[in-house]
Amino acid sequence: MPIHFRNLQKRFGEKHVLRGVDIEVQNGECFFVIGASGVGKSVLIKHLVGLLRPDAGDIFLDGEEVSRLSETALYPVRKKCAMVFQNSTLFDSMSCVENVALPLRMHKGLTLEAALIEAEQRLEQVHMSEFARAFPPELGDGMRKRVAIARALTLDPQYVLFDEPTTSLDPISARRVDKLIYELSRSYGVTSIVVSHDLTSIFTIADRIAMLYQGHVRMVGTPDDFRRTPDPIIQQFITGQAEGPMEV
Amino acid sequence: MSDATRATTPFGLIVPERMGQGLLAIAEQVGGIGVLAGRLVARLVPPRIDRYELIRNCHKMGVRSVGIVSATALFTGAIMVVQAAPLVVRFSATEIIGWGAGFAILREVAPLLIALMFSGRVGANNTAELGTMVVTEQLDALRALAIDPLSYLILPRVIAMILMLFVLNIFGDLVAIIGAIISAKALLDVDAHMFMNSFLNMIDHWDFLQSLVKSVAFGTMIALTSCYFGLNVKGGAPGVGRAVNSAVVAAAIGIFVMDYFSTFVLK
Amino acid sequence: MTIQLEFERPDRERALDKLRAPLLALWRDLAGLYGLLRQTLRCCLAKRPDRQAFFEQAYAVGNGSVLFVSVTMTVVGMITVMQSGVQTQRVLPELSLLGANIIQILAREFAPTVCALMLATRVGAGIAAEIGSMVVTDQVDALRMSAADPVDYLVVPRFLACVVMTTALTYWSLFISLVAGTVAANLIFDLNVNTFVNFSLVGAGDFVVMTLKGLMYGAAIPIVSAQRGLTTFGGSEGVGWATTNAVVHSSLAIIMLDLVLSIVGYIVFPPV
Repeated sequence: MPIHFRNLQKRFGEKHVLRGVDIEVQNGECFFVIGASGVGKSVLIKHLVGLLRPDAGDIFLDGEEVSRLSETALYPVRKKCAMVFQNSTLFDSMSCVENVALPLRMHKGLTLEAALIEAEQRLEQVHMSEFARAFPPELGDGMRKRVAIARALTLDPQYVLFDEPTTSLDPISARRVDKLIYELSRSYGVTSIVVSHDLTSIFTIADRIAMLYQGHVRMVGTPDDFRRTPDPIIQQFITGQAEGPMEV
Repeated sequence: MSDATRATTPFGLIVPERMGQGLLAIAEQVGGIGVLAGRLVARLVPPRIDRYELIRNCHKMGVRSVGIVSATALFTGAIMVVQAAPLVVRFSATEIIGWGAGFAILREVAPLLIALMFSGRVGANNTAELGTMVVTEQLDALRALAIDPLSYLILPRVIAMILMLFVLNIFGDLVAIIGAIISAKALLDVDAHMFMNSFLNMIDHWDFLQSLVKSVAFGTMIALTSCYFGLNVKGGAPGVGRAVNSAVVAAAIGIFVMDYFSTFVLK
Repeated sequence: MTIQLEFERPDRERALDKLRAPLLALWRDLAGLYGLLRQTLRCCLAKRPDRQAFFEQAYAVGNGSVLFVSVTMTVVGMITVMQSGVQTQRVLPELSLLGANIIQILAREFAPTVCALMLATRVGAGIAAEIGSMVVTDQVDALRMSAADPVDYLVVPRFLACVVMTTALTYWSLFISLVAGTVAANLIFDLNVNTFVNFSLVGAGDFVVMTLKGLMYGAAIPIVSAQRGLTTFGGSEGVGWATTNAVVHSSLAIIMLDLVLSIVGYIVFPPV
C-alpha cells in the first residue's frame, strides 16, 4: 500500500501526542483523519513530508521509508506528496499568481514569464484567475485556500495532504473545497489524506476514516462503519455532542 | 533544571548562576550564527541565487535607508568638525581641519554610525519579516514545496544587506564630507577649498579602504544576526518582538567587536 | 474667468503637492512629539511621581543595559586610542598629550553619544513594544475609561527613569572607556598610565556638556519611543513597525541633539 504509518510515536516535552499510530492508506483513496482539537492530526501528517521527525516508528511512502531521510533526500518525496496548510500559508510578499508560479520556476525550470502563464491557467482551474494579481492579505479565507490548493498541485503530485481545509470557511466555500478534493481523487487518481473535524465534509466525500483519540487510532472504517458503530466516544464525536464520555 | 532545584540556589550563588546562564545563552547564539554562516557559504558554491529575490531585496533595503543614512552622515560630518576643532585651534593649524575631521570620519565614525542606523532600519525589519514567516508557517510551506529556505529566501537577503551597506557607506562618506565642509565654514571660517586641500593631501587610499572593509564586515554581522534571530523565533507574535530586540542588540555588539578587530588588523 | 479643471492644473503645482505631503507629515510628527514632551513635563511637575514604578523602570533601563553598555564602551575606548594614536603619529613626533586630548573627546562626545545610541536601541525598542502592544490590545483605551491618564501612567515613570539612568550610565561609560583606553595606550603605544591619564585639558565645561547631553538624550529616547508606541496601529505588525521606528528615530534625534549641543558646548565652553 502506498502510505503506511507504523507505530508512530511523537512527544513534545511532557505531552505524549502520538502513542503508537498505525494507519494504511490505499491508492486513489480520499482518506480522512478525524479527532478533537489538539489530538495530533496535523502532527501526524506533517511527519509524512519530513516537517516533523518521529520519536519512534516508521513511515512508508511508495515502499520507501521516509522518516529518517535527510532534508535533501526528502525533496523528491515532497515533490510527489504536496501539502495544503491550515492557514493556506501563501507567501505574503508575492501576488497569487507569483505564489503559484514559484514551484514551477524552481522545479520545472521555467522562465518567469512562462511560469506566470502556466500559473494563471492553474488559477483558472480553481476559479481564481481574476484575482491573479491580488496579494494574499487582500483576499478572504476561502479564496486563499483555493490559491493554496492550486499552488500545491503545480507539480502534479500523486499524494496531497490537506490540513483542516474547511475550518474557518463559510459553508459555500467549504463545499467548493470538498468538491475540489473529491474531483482530485475521482478524476485524477490522486491519493489524499484530509485532516478535518468538519462533519459535513467527512460524511460527504470520505472513502475511509481513521479517528484519533488519546494518541491511538480508535477506529478505521468507512463512513457507514462509523455511523453504525456502538462505540460511545465515536458516536459523541460524529453527532457533535457537548456532553459525553470523551475526554478532551 | 526543574523548578525545585532553582528555588534552592544558595543566595551567594545567584549572581554566578545568572552569569553562567547568560554565558551559555551567548555561546548558543554565537554558535548558531556561525552554523548559519557556514550553511550559507556552502550554498554559495556553486552559486544558485534567485535573481528576482536578490533584486527585490536590494531595492527594498537600499531605497528604504537612503534618507536615514543621508541625515545621519550629514550630521556626523558636522559633529566631527566640532570635535576636531579644539585640537586644530590648540595647534593653530585650522588649515588641516579637513584632514583632522576627515580621518576620523572615514576610518571610524561614518562606517560605525551608518551601520548602526542600517541595523535599526533594515536589520530589525528583516528579523520581523522572517520571524513572522516562521510563525505563520510560511517557512514550512517553502520546505513542503521542496524549496530550500536558506538558498531561496535567506541568501539573497544576506547578500543584499552586505551589498547595500557597502554602497550606502560610500554614499554616506560623501555626504559626511559635505556636512563637515559646511560645519568647518560655519565654525572655523575654513572654506571648502582649504578643507578639501588638506583632506585630499593627507588622507591616503588606505583610510578610505578601511571604511569600505569595515562596511563589509559590519554588513555581514548585521545580516547574519538579523537572519539568525528571525529564523529562531519562538512563541508567536510576542516572540517576534523579542527577536527583533535581541537582533538589534546583538548586531550592535557584533558591530563594535568587528570594529575592534578590523581596526586592529588594518592598522 | 476660466475655471481651472482638476486635470488641467499645471504640473508645477502637482509637484509641490508631492513635496508638501512628507513635510506636512514631518511637521505633524514633530508637533506630536512636542505635545507629548509638554504633557509629560506637566505631569512630572504637577504631582509626585509613583516611586515604585520609577524604580522598576530605572532597574529595567539601568541594570538591564549596564553590561551591554560596558562592552561597547570598552571597545570604543580602545578604538579611540588606536585611531587617535595613529592619526597623531602622522603629524607629531610623540604622544604625550594623547591622553589629555582623548579624555576630553570621550567626555564631550563619545561617552554620552555612544551610550545613548546603545540605550536607544535597547530601551527605545522595549518602550515602543510595551506601549504599542497595549495600544493594539485596547489596554490604553481601558486606562482612559478608568479615568487614568495614559501619559501619566505609562510615559512619566519611563521618562524619569531614562533621564536619570542615561546620565548615570554616561558617567559609567566615561569611566569604562577611560580604563579601556588607558590599557590600550599602554599595550599599543607603550604609554605610561600616568602620562596618559592627564586631566590638564579637561575642565568643568566638559563635564557640563557631558551631563547636559546625558540629560537631553535621556529625555529624547523615551519621548520618541513612547510617541511611536502610542501611535501604533495595525495589530502585531504595527507593533513591529513602531519598534523599528522608535530605534531609528530616537537614534536620529540623538545625533541631531549631539550636533546642537556640541556647537553650544564649543561656543559656551571653548576648549582650553
